[in-house]
Amino acid sequence: MTAVATAPVTETASRFRPHEIWRIVRLHTVNPSIFFGVPWIILGGAWAVTMVIALILRSAGISDAEDGFRYSWAVLSPQWYLIVVGVQALAYTFPFALGFGATRRDFWLGTAAMFLFVSIEMAAAIATLVQLEILTDGWWVGAGMFDALWYGIDGWLVDFYTTFALQLLVLFIGASITTVFMRWRMKGMMILLFGAVAVVLALIAGLTFTESWPAVFDWFGSIGLVGVFTVLLGLAAVCAVAGYLVIRRATPR
Amino acid sequence: MTRTVVRASGLTKRYGSFTALDGVDLSIEEHRIYGLLGRNGAGKTTIMQLLTGQIFANGGELEVFGRTPAEHSDVLRRMCFIAESQRYPEDFTPAHVFKSAPWFFENWDAEYAERLVSDFRLPVKRRVKKLSRGQLSAVGVIVGLASRAPLTFFDEPYLGLDAVARHIFYDRLLEDYAEHPRTVVLSTHLIDEVANLLEHVILIDQGRILLDRDADEVRGSATTIAGARRVVDDFVADRPVIGRESLGGLASVTIDGRLDQAERIRAAELGLELAPVSLQQLIVHLTGTDLAGTTEQEAAA
Repeated sequence: MTAVATAPVTETASRFRPHEIWRIVRLHTVNPSIFFGVPWIILGGAWAVTMVIALILRSAGISDAEDGFRYSWAVLSPQWYLIVVGVQALAYTFPFALGFGATRRDFWLGTAAMFLFVSIEMAAAIATLVQLEILTDGWWVGAGMFDALWYGIDGWLVDFYTTFALQLLVLFIGASITTVFMRWRMKGMMILLFGAVAVVLALIAGLTFTESWPAVFDWFGSIGLVGVFTVLLGLAAVCAVAGYLVIRRATPR
Repeated sequence: MTRTVVRASGLTKRYGSFTALDGVDLSIEEHRIYGLLGRNGAGKTTIMQLLTGQIFANGGELEVFGRTPAEHSDVLRRMCFIAESQRYPEDFTPAHVFKSAPWFFENWDAEYAERLVSDFRLPVKRRVKKLSRGQLSAVGVIVGLASRAPLTFFDEPYLGLDAVARHIFYDRLLEDYAEHPRTVVLSTHLIDEVANLLEHVILIDQGRILLDRDADEVRGSATTIAGARRVVDDFVADRPVIGRESLGGLASVTIDGRLDQAERIRAAELGLELAPVSLQQLIVHLTGTDLAGTTEQEAAA
């Protein structure tokens, strides 16, 4: 990167290349089922199961007040798949984009843009479905798939924000951890894993010995639901920046 | 004047204690067809990965279109490299590959790609994972040809291709190369298949370049002399021997260098047979010491 001085090739005018970044977004969507199709098939499947359960409960005479739909995790069902999508974007699409002459930088920026779009789409859709479910009184049978966990309590905007933060974190965690593998292979993964475990243990030990657990819980209580998800959003941003730094020297398998 | 598109000196790549490339010097001129030849694991793919900025060298200098290739968009956009073991995005089909190709290759010719697809009878709706080895090679060949990138790499393009498909690749490459001149680097260990296609040969073995010469020069550069062992030995006494085979009292010796008219006449008078050495034979002689090696050769060494 220092041998540029003698370059007869004209310098690219701008460091920001919208076309180069946009084509990575298009590359991620050329097969739309990966980011859009499958998550909705999973959500649709979970919804169908929830509906069947609701119908069974109602015909058994159990009222909405007694059922436990508030504790259903069905609304989060696509997240497990989307973490894998984040991994595959790096493990498979990254080597392919390099073969097509993309730079690592543009690939990461394009992928980040894609994650942003997907998170906005999922957040808007789920927040709206929560409202629809409330409006239709649980799809007319008192089923509670979207209006569950922390959803449906503080309104559309909070539901949107929390889903957006969670979605972005899920995608960036999968992708940024895979950048470590693409750069340092198994050795890097092991160091990352053991490092993370060590940090968590040290944190637990520190908090336990200083007897600060109540203070931690108080703090989480004081920042509230939105605050907690802002922390998640911050973690997503950390993953995004770390992934950018790591991928710059990553190599395809 | 032709331009030099690739300039490398002392290029070294190590993987742990294994040295994949060991101080390679190399230059590639514009608008020629290069053969990057060598045995499996010789370092062919490593060279191509370095040239396309996919991996980083441990030492040496490398300039492609005047710059280090890695992370330089204006260099990378002029290259096309579909690796033999290329990974494709999850659930990708050849149709997806050809649909996204024009976003990355400004000279992409979609009509031409379509014609190639029917020439190779490639099932474009089948998942890449389910393609046969030959069909997978065809995907790489079609992208390489239709991208018309100024510097195009073909990594083992013949792998798994049937005879008809090999012929199609050969014909299409020469046709299209004549119409749209560009620099082609073709790696293969199936040397006889491509011998006539190549204008320049770079032979690599165990991370070092053994031969870097014009293909026509290489073709005539070695001779095999066969006959009675003692006569042959006398004849080649002061010549550089690169290969030797013997059976009973007969020997067949390959020497580096061509024979002039007088030498040919003398050989005929001695009852020796002269045979041209094909590119493949020459390369086996140069790199296959452990394969073709006989006790004789060790004795001679």
